[in-house]
Formats: sequence, structure tokens, C-alpha cells
Amino acid sequence: MDLLSNLYLGLSVAVSLQNLLYCLIGCMVGTLIGVLPGIGPVATIAMLLPITFHLPPTASLIMLAGIYYGAQYGGSTTAILVNLPGETSAVVTCIDGYQMARQGRAGPALAIAAIGSFIAGTLAVCALVFVGPAFAKFAVSFGPPEYFALALFGLALSATLSGGSPVRGFCMVLAGLLLGLVGIDTVTGVERYTFGIMEISDGIDLVPMLMGLFGIGEILHNLESKDGSTLVSTKIGRLFPSREDWRESRGPIGRGSVIGFLVGLIPGGGAILASLMSYTLEKKLSRTPEKFGHGAIAGVAGPESANNSAATASFIPLLTLGLPGNAVTAVLFAGLLIQNVQPGPLMLVKSPDVFWGVIASMYVGNIMLLILNLPLVGLWVQLLRVPFWILSPAILLIAILGTYSLRSNYTDVVTLMIFGAVGYVLRKASLDAGPLIMAFILANILDTSLRQSLLMGDGSMAILFIRPISATILLLAAIVVGTQAWQYVRGARGGIAPGEITS
Amino acid sequence: MNRFLSKDFLSGLMFIGFGLFVLYYGQKLAVGTSVRMGPGYVPHMLSYILLVLGALICVIALYAGGETVEAPKWRPITLVTVGIVAFALLLESFGLFPALVALVIIASLGGDEFKLTEVIGNVIVLTILCILVFKVGLGMNISILQGVW
Repeated sequence: MDLLSNLYLGLSVAVSLQNLLYCLIGCMVGTLIGVLPGIGPVATIAMLLPITFHLPPTASLIMLAGIYYGAQYGGSTTAILVNLPGETSAVVTCIDGYQMARQGRAGPALAIAAIGSFIAGTLAVCALVFVGPAFAKFAVSFGPPEYFALALFGLALSATLSGGSPVRGFCMVLAGLLLGLVGIDTVTGVERYTFGIMEISDGIDLVPMLMGLFGIGEILHNLESKDGSTLVSTKIGRLFPSREDWRESRGPIGRGSVIGFLVGLIPGGGAILASLMSYTLEKKLSRTPEKFGHGAIAGVAGPESANNSAATASFIPLLTLGLPGNAVTAVLFAGLLIQNVQPGPLMLVKSPDVFWGVIASMYVGNIMLLILNLPLVGLWVQLLRVPFWILSPAILLIAILGTYSLRSNYTDVVTLMIFGAVGYVLRKASLDAGPLIMAFILANILDTSLRQSLLMGDGSMAILFIRPISATILLLAAIVVGTQAWQYVRGARGGIAPGEITS
Repeated sequence: MNRFLSKDFLSGLMFIGFGLFVLYYGQKLAVGTSVRMGPGYVPHMLSYILLVLGALICVIALYAGGETVEAPKWRPITLVTVGIVAFALLLESFGLFPALVALVIIASLGGDEFKLTEVIGNVIVLTILCILVFKVGLGMNISILQGVW
């Protein structure tokens, strides 16, 4: 049986000593940065990219993937104990998780978050095994017009759904696309916006840009805000949930896993959207909706399962279509390209060991995370006592040395500083840099696929609307953008200030 | 509340500024036509849309108001910048260790408190970590202390 032999291949790759080690490192780092507020998976993955260039592609993707789904586990710990989202997708967990902690039920909240994440993560990996190859088979028939439509769809969704006002999201996407244009134009060979600097004639280097935007920008923002390290000394108490808790969490975990998986598949959807949707759904379905906001365990179980499942599912569009759906997978995409692995429908054929190895490592990683997070939760909590001014020099140092290690030149360090300033300003204005990064990375795909489509259609855009799949995708994108814009206009007219949700 | 200092209005201005910047420096790039796109076609189109959307954000912000931007704190910003510059200057001529010490001390000053023992501890841990990861692990060609190691 094909599937079994593939899984066997994957497992044999994943359980090699080296890959197990990198999986463990990834999961630990992921939990660590998930627990620590103020530094997210995008910044961490960016900072580790220079290191992964020296690793084989499988090991590095296993490690970086572990950081992404590991952060979803760790984020809940901070949300429950300190009422701060350790990771943006844990925002929803703060609502009921912190209330549970205040009622002395921090233990069960932490346990249900970890167990829910484990169940959802494992279910999502199982589904990935079946859905992934099916996606790839379907995607083989995709031509440039379909890719163009999908990339556009992903950008439109990330602009409108990332929280805040859609107009601001679109501006960030446009800015990202413009930044992606820097360098020599592939068709005409003309240098665009390089200002004669040789080092950026291939385009702005992604790694220093990311480290600046997410690393340095975040440090400056955090050094400013006072409430960095005020750990409430809550007793974690009895860890294991009661039978009552279990009964209330079963449904939310199951539904959260499904919602998360579906949201993760959509380009532009991400962990945060999944957890928001799960929370809303559980509140609607609940027989006691008035308990939500006052420590309902369903409000922890559902969203925590959903964000984990979404994080796992977002690997499907990345690996089988070659289209990253959110900022984290966009960075992973760039990392894979540097490693000379082209994610896409052919990856299953060309490098099955990477594909199945990474999937199998997710099974292993989820088990590791359950062990890391349940019995050791007290240890992670101690980390919250580390004040930010101790952490910030360490992050700065890794960012600069990592940047410098790439090519040993100072242009990259200057890029880092410029984007650090940009990242800080964006945080000040509550603008999410995620859509900008996605646009920057997708600019190339958009450009190539549009030009190829135009060639196929003899210079006419009509080809995008004639082919059924690309037409459907574009129509969907238009509907999503249209409804979002409509809601925005109505909201603005009602006097509600747009853009209140910050990342 | 001053509506001209709201986050929305200022970000709108920022987008307009960026759009104008791209247009100004893209003047020399040939635009071409939609069938035969020149190198300047896409940047021009994108920045026109950016200008329109930026203006839209500004107008809505003036009309609906919004959150005011908090004044920046210059101390951490200056110290982090000085720290990075000092690190870059010291790294090649004196080696990693002096650069690291300078960066950690200067950047730590940017926080609210400064405890010497903890900073020294931080320096020791980070030095070991950096040597292990970047010098031994990645084989980076940097000296720890110029002329010594």
C-alpha cells in the first residue's frame, strides 16, 4: 500500500537520531518563545534561518516546523497564568483561561489546553497524510493562471482577515509587493530601486528584513511598555481536569480540531483566525453561554485545539501547492527555497523524504510537546520571571550575528537596522507586518505566474477568467474582499473607529 | 483628542509618503503599456493604488477619529541603536568578545533597571553560547579577541 510505505519512509526519516534531536530543539524553542510574550514564531524562525543553512533540508524544516506548532502550545501557558498572549493566536485563550486561573483552576486550564492541542495536532497530522497527497494530485493540473489566482486570493485574505481594518491590510500588502520589486527586473534587466547598492541588486535580503521587522522592532516596542514582567503568583493547583471538565471539553476539542484544520487549509487563514472562530462557535453552541468570559473550560479547549490544528494544516498549502498561506509559512517557504527544495506538487515526487519526514516528525513532535508542557509546566512558568531587559540583549545579539554570518557584510546589518526602525514604527501604528511579509515573498510568484498567464493568453487578462478554477478562486477572493469592505464601511459610518484589533 | 495624531491618520500619511517615494524614484523607469509592460509599469500602478488607499485612511481617520499614538520613549531607541553600531564597529577590529560586552551593557541600559551582577552573568552565558553556535557550530570566520583567538 502506497500510503503505508510513504508513512514508513517518513517515520524512518523522522526517528533518525539527528532528526529527533532537531525536532526536540524545535519543540523546546517553540514552547519557550510561545511562553515568552513579545517574541513570536516569525522572529524566531527568521533568527534561526542562518543556522539552518548549514543543516540538511529535512532537519531544518523539522526544527522550524516544531517551532511553529510548539509556539501554539506554549502560548496558552502565558495566556492562562498572566493574561498576556504569549503568542498572538492565544489572545482568545486569555479570556476564559485567565478567569479559570483566578478561580484557582489554572491547573485544569493548562492541562486541557495541552491535551486539546495534542489531540488536535495529532488529528490534523492524520488528516494531513490523506489530504496532502490529494491536494498535490489536484494541484498538478494547476497552470500559471491558477497560481496567480491563488496567490492573489491568499494576499487578499491575509489583508482583510488579519485583524484591523482591511484598507490598512491592503496598504501593507501593497508596500510588501513594492519592496519585493527591488532589484533587477527579470524580464527587462533594468535595476529597480537599488540606488546603486550592489548587495541589493538581487532584491532585499529576506533574513535581515525579517529579523529587523519582527526581532528588533519587537524589542524596541517591548522595552517601551512597562508591564513586561509582572507575574501573578497564581498557584497552578491540581493539574488534572475533573470528569465534569472532560465532559465539557470533549465537544469543543473535536470541533476546534475540524475548524482549525479547514481554516489552516485556506491561504490567508491562520492560527489566530481559527481560534477566534472556534470561540465564537462554542459560545453559540453552549447551553450556558453566560459562563463564557467567566472561566468556561470550553472557551479554552476549543480555541487551543483550533490553533494547533490550523498550524499543522497550514503546511498543506505550503508543501503541496508551494503557496504559503500566512507569514510563518511564508518564511518557511523562503527558507526551503534557499535550501534548494522547491515546495509544490512535485515535492512529493522529487523529495518524498523531506515531505514525509516532516509530516512524521509532527507526530513525534506532538508527543514531545505533551511531555514538555504537562509535567514541566512549572519550569516554563519560571521563565516568565526573567525580565525583558535581560532577554533583549540576547535577542539583539543573535539577530546581528545571525545577519552578519550570512555573507559577512555590513549592508545586511544596515538592512537589519532600517527594518528594525520600520518594524517599530509599524508596531506604534498597530499595523500588522504579517501581510507585508507575505506579499514580499509572494511578489515573485505573482509576477512570474502573471507574465506566464499573459503569454498563454496572448497578452490578454481574459485567460484568468476563462479557466474555471482560476475564475472560481478570483470570484471567491472578490466576495471575501467585498463583504469585508462592506462591513468596514458600515462600521465607519456607525462611528466605530476602524482598526481597533491589534496584533 | 487631536485627530491628526491618531494611529490611522499617521499610518495613512506614511503610506502616502511611501507611494510618493516610489513614484519619485521610479520616474526614470519606463512604464510601457499593459500589453508590453516596462520595468516601471507595476511599481507605478501599485503606488497609485497605495496613494488612493492611504488618502482614504487619512480621510476616514479625520472623520471617525481613533486611538492616539503614544509618544515614543527615546532612551531604549537610542541605546539599542548605539549598541548595534558599537557592536558592528568593534566586531572586525577588536573581535567578538569586546563587541558583545559593549552591546549587552549598552542594550541593558535601555531597560528600566540595571543590575550589574545579572548583566555580567548575561555576558558570560551569551559569550559561551555565541562561541558554541557561531564559531564552533557554523564555523564563522570571526575572532573572539583580535590577535589572541
